[in-house]
Amino acid sequence: MSTTTDPNPPIIQGGIGAAVKRIDGPLKVTGGAKYASDMAVTNPAYAYFHTSAIALGTIIDIDEGDARALPGVIDIMTWHSVKGQLNPIKTFSEGGTGGTKILMMQGPEIRHDGEIIAVILAETYEAARDASHRLTVRYEERDPVATFGDEGLVAEDATLKNAMFKNVQVGDADAALSMAFAKVDQRYSTPPHHHNPIELFTTTAFWQNGELTIYEPSQYMVGTQHGVAEMLGIDPARVRVISHYVGGAFGSKASVTDRTAIVALAAKRLNRPVKLVATRDQGFTIATYRAETQHRVKLGASEDGKITALIHEADEVSSQPDSYKVGGTDMTTRMYAIPNITSKVTIQHADRNTPGFMRAPAEVPYMFALESAVDELAYALNMDPVELRRINDAQVEPVGGLPYSSRSLNECYATAAAAFGWSGRNPEPMSTVDGDWQVGWGCATACYPANIAACFARVTLTATDAMVEVAGHEIGTGAYTIYAQTAADRLGMPVDRVSVLMGDSRLPPAPVAGGSNNAASISNAVAVGCAMVRDQVAAAAVADPESPLSGRDPAKLTLADGTLRDTDGTFEPLADALARLGGAVEVLGGNEPDSVKLGSLAGLRSAKLAFGGGFADPKKVKASFGAEFVEVRVHRLTREVRVSRMVGAFAAGTIMNPITARSQLMGGMIWGVSSALHEATEIDPRYARYTNDNLAEYLIPVNADIPNVDVLFVAETDRDVNPLGIKGVGELGGVGTDAAVCNAIYHATGIRIRDLPVRIEKLLTGAV
Amino acid sequence: MTKQDDDTIRGGLKRRSFLQFGAIAPFGATALLAARAQAQTPTVPAAAADMPLVLRVNGQSHSFVADVRTTLLDALRDKIGLTGSKKGCDHGQCGACTVHVDGRRVLGCLTLAISVQGKEVTTIEGLAAQDGTLHPMQTAFIEHDAFQCGYCTSGQIMSAVALVQEGHAESDDDIREYMSGNLCRCAAYPNIVAAVSQAKTQMQRT
Amino acid sequence: MRPFSYQQSTDPSQAVQAGMAGDAASAGTTAYLAGGTSLLDLMKLDVLRPQNLIDINPLHATHGEITVSATGLRLGALARMADIADNADVLRDYPVVAQSLQLAASAQLRNMASIGGNLLQRTRCSYYRDTSYAACNKRIPGSGCAAMDGVNRIHAVLGVTDKCIASYPGDFAQAMIALDGQVELLGPNGKRSIPFAQLHLQAAVSPEVETTLRPGELIIALTIPAGPHTARSGYIKVRDRQSYAFAIASAAVALDIGADGIVRDARIGLGGIHYAPYRATAAEAVLRGRALDDASATEAATAALQGAVTHGHNDYKPELARRTLIRALIHVRDMPVAGAN
Repeated sequence: MSTTTDPNPPIIQGGIGAAVKRIDGPLKVTGGAKYASDMAVTNPAYAYFHTSAIALGTIIDIDEGDARALPGVIDIMTWHSVKGQLNPIKTFSEGGTGGTKILMMQGPEIRHDGEIIAVILAETYEAARDASHRLTVRYEERDPVATFGDEGLVAEDATLKNAMFKNVQVGDADAALSMAFAKVDQRYSTPPHHHNPIELFTTTAFWQNGELTIYEPSQYMVGTQHGVAEMLGIDPARVRVISHYVGGAFGSKASVTDRTAIVALAAKRLNRPVKLVATRDQGFTIATYRAETQHRVKLGASEDGKITALIHEADEVSSQPDSYKVGGTDMTTRMYAIPNITSKVTIQHADRNTPGFMRAPAEVPYMFALESAVDELAYALNMDPVELRRINDAQVEPVGGLPYSSRSLNECYATAAAAFGWSGRNPEPMSTVDGDWQVGWGCATACYPANIAACFARVTLTATDAMVEVAGHEIGTGAYTIYAQTAADRLGMPVDRVSVLMGDSRLPPAPVAGGSNNAASISNAVAVGCAMVRDQVAAAAVADPESPLSGRDPAKLTLADGTLRDTDGTFEPLADALARLGGAVEVLGGNEPDSVKLGSLAGLRSAKLAFGGGFADPKKVKASFGAEFVEVRVHRLTREVRVSRMVGAFAAGTIMNPITARSQLMGGMIWGVSSALHEATEIDPRYARYTNDNLAEYLIPVNADIPNVDVLFVAETDRDVNPLGIKGVGELGGVGTDAAVCNAIYHATGIRIRDLPVRIEKLLTGAV
Repeated sequence: MTKQDDDTIRGGLKRRSFLQFGAIAPFGATALLAARAQAQTPTVPAAAADMPLVLRVNGQSHSFVADVRTTLLDALRDKIGLTGSKKGCDHGQCGACTVHVDGRRVLGCLTLAISVQGKEVTTIEGLAAQDGTLHPMQTAFIEHDAFQCGYCTSGQIMSAVALVQEGHAESDDDIREYMSGNLCRCAAYPNIVAAVSQAKTQMQRT
Repeated sequence: MRPFSYQQSTDPSQAVQAGMAGDAASAGTTAYLAGGTSLLDLMKLDVLRPQNLIDINPLHATHGEITVSATGLRLGALARMADIADNADVLRDYPVVAQSLQLAASAQLRNMASIGGNLLQRTRCSYYRDTSYAACNKRIPGSGCAAMDGVNRIHAVLGVTDKCIASYPGDFAQAMIALDGQVELLGPNGKRSIPFAQLHLQAAVSPEVETTLRPGELIIALTIPAGPHTARSGYIKVRDRQSYAFAIASAAVALDIGADGIVRDARIGLGGIHYAPYRATAAEAVLRGRALDDASATEAATAALQGAVTHGHNDYKPELARRTLIRALIHVRDMPVAGAN
């Protein structure tokens, strides 16, 4: 062994915070990244769903017509052939992995539009689709309750069946409001949204030696594995889920749906692989969505702009059996330093499929209401809306009196406002015109809880390479890249020497990719694994009299640049240090954050999910913040709204990779433009059916809708959230944006839009 | 243009036995056709016709048997095993299936495989050089982080390459407009514009 | 999608013959396949169920011409939307034609779609496109109209009846009708030429029948006569996003304005609001012989929307269409035209 001293501090290429280009980029630009439906299977049968044409009623019979006789058609499954073969599973809010209590194909009852009522299995996709269209289903139809405004909605206090959720009552908001100098009392509403990832909902299933393999895009590998096993009544160890790349998810691929189990049953029935690629319209009803919400927000303020009262009452739609709610008052009641607050959330049950998580589920609709109302209050006070938010900043949240672990909202406002040029604003509505276009500026606050969950990760180190293995998810966030960076950072190895294996339920379990937790949960677990590796290598070295590091304090040794080294520069080549351990070290790291309940790491193995941090933390409130500024142009005649500029500044603790983080935040801001101006699922209230269930009529922005977007980072170090200080950026960017857009539209036109989306017809008032 | 095998073609016609109206639809089929198709669902179902097809894809010939209804997209993915082209809507509403046919960007989901026999089809798998060197557009997409989940990326890149060749990449606004047939739900749009703008310069240089 | 027989045709007469033969064999369910962007879409949805497809794309070689001459513009029926939109002569002499095409669909769809097929595209009514809705007079005559009391934001306000309120979704058709386009047809009994204004039935009387095409007829070419108004022309399209969306209101406008500022001729087609392609002749009459200013534009726009009938979600359309036309008139009045006075 050689002894050398190297006084230069090692430089780690591509560690935490480095601007590393996506390591999966070359695969994604060559068509080489295999998404679930790209996975080859031998001799698959093709499944095609036939879904219900009614929302409420009973199937009388299904006339197969000539469908079964079509060349290539193998079988047609209906509830008769599936009944009793699927077990109900618990939903997320009940501690399970499902999205709904509604179990399809268990009988003739139809409970919402587009339920799966038959599965055609055929030799070709073409034959299966054709056969589906030849089925004639006779229904006994009942009048469904569709949405707000319909008679027959069943109201339920949102706290009844959601034990963790509480309405807020602080001080006396009504009294404070009655004494306020300036008041706002308005109603706001948001429409249903569907995630519409460009990848369709696909499932390929096959059985081999009693073991079930599923290729399916999933945001929760372990959840899908256990949920499907539970539904099918088999040992989870016999189910393997593979999903190396997910073609967009946004929450839609988090909960287990019965489509997966149904396709698995079909594969068992045929004893061959079955491949399903559900159609775009079916995706509107066989998965979840963001339900419509209604809000009444009352704000009161004293003459100096101090907000004295907030009352936020909201209604959300859910299905009949499920008490799903997003309950964004958790956030809106903690946003500003307000002494008197009341909140109340009510679930309205309708004959609809059960809603579920969609990117910033609670925060998007609830912050639209609050941040619109705050802008209205600023006008009522004749005060700059940035200044209004600044003077009401809360470093201690007003509901439980807990401090924020860090809150850099005012810094975000200062940074974004300067970049946007906000100081040049003329506050008067309709004060700026550019040719035929009215120009307006608006801003709003973004916020998202910093969540974390328990997580495992396996880390292997050799003299030349490292590997990270975790059942994580690449949904577009740059997951492969940042976990490689974490390992590179902690193992002192260039990032291009680190490989990452994800997307297989047989890998060490990771929590759902939801609530923006994965960056924190998985990176910290990887860091724990890396520390265990270092500990082993260091312990062996200091214990070996032959080692140049013999007898040194193992705690001071670090892995860097192909060496194990002490602070004085004395080092041992990594190959030598590993040689005494057999040439490689492999560890299974597990991270159970102290804010997560004890035993959550063990629970993760059986898909028992527990989040910590955010607003649930007993000691501190943990959240990331941002300030967003938008410029809009509204045509004076035809009223098209175009966003012409956007600036967002964000403080989210450690930024693992500024390239991917910027993309996440930019994408979020564009989602905000979309929720403001484009997206809405339309419902025919007579039938409780979605009518625009396609990408030509369910509008999301195209390239031409989106201007340059400036994303700025406000430096923030927060070691309270987790050891690596990560808060997460996946959902933050889209929160508040829709309010910023509507605030800008008000500034441009003098018209206040309180009901999303903004449509041309809502701006047609007034003479030409 | 391929000369269609007459026997193959007539095979379909011969199986028809029903004779009633004589309304033919011009191009995209008229309302007359629609009405009659609805009213006159044939009592003898037309048989699904499997037929041998040959497609030229990325410079190679691929022979396979497929249902006559198979789209170019499904043929690429399920018959030839080129899964880079993606299905996002199957109705011409998203652009994820964009490929080149005889150098023009088209949608694989609204193209019948049988109709492009004899034409040159280029997919994302055929864009890089034989030695694996990435096309400047592919490199630019990586450098500008012009994708997130990557699912729409094949279509975006195929569209972008054609856009430059069409001469529609003269300004950022042009790029935005002429890239608008490719939806990106992750919303990487500004980065896509930057990538196309960079690659344009490199493509024009070579 | 139902099974079909398939053949390609390299000659229009052969295509018509093959079509007639196919029709004879299959109860009139033969369709010509060009770009396929409407036909295959609707076949996948099971809305259209042709049993025979005659693929006429090979006709592009002989019927794909784009010719601007002293007499006018001639477009082979297989000319692709993109090629017409990018044609320098068309851009210069018939800007409304180029713009209506450039603002339609997406680059990929414009590369595929033939100009003949473009004219025959189908409504975007959700209840027409989704066969799980029982009531659609266009799909199933006599079944009713689910849109009337349903989600009808995109639906028509002119040319509607109690049978159907579908709106015609096309853009280029508004330029065609405004510019007195002609359609050349080839049928089993030979050629004929009809004004484009007579191709579509103008009111939803028998919604299942949309055109006056005779059995077997194939669109061969489109022509637009030259005139002093074609160079000063433009298309304004209003939609819910910037691109790749159907018009909720649009206006194709061509103007011949004298040196004295008096409108000698005005041609106006309006999209997004009518059951069929729509020529706003009443609006044209208002403008002829007058200066085009805000007042006359407003008066013309009001005349164009006379008699509009709305059904709830589309209550906004008459007002939006009115504003769209005003905007288009002023825009075209003020546009720079090479060599114009």
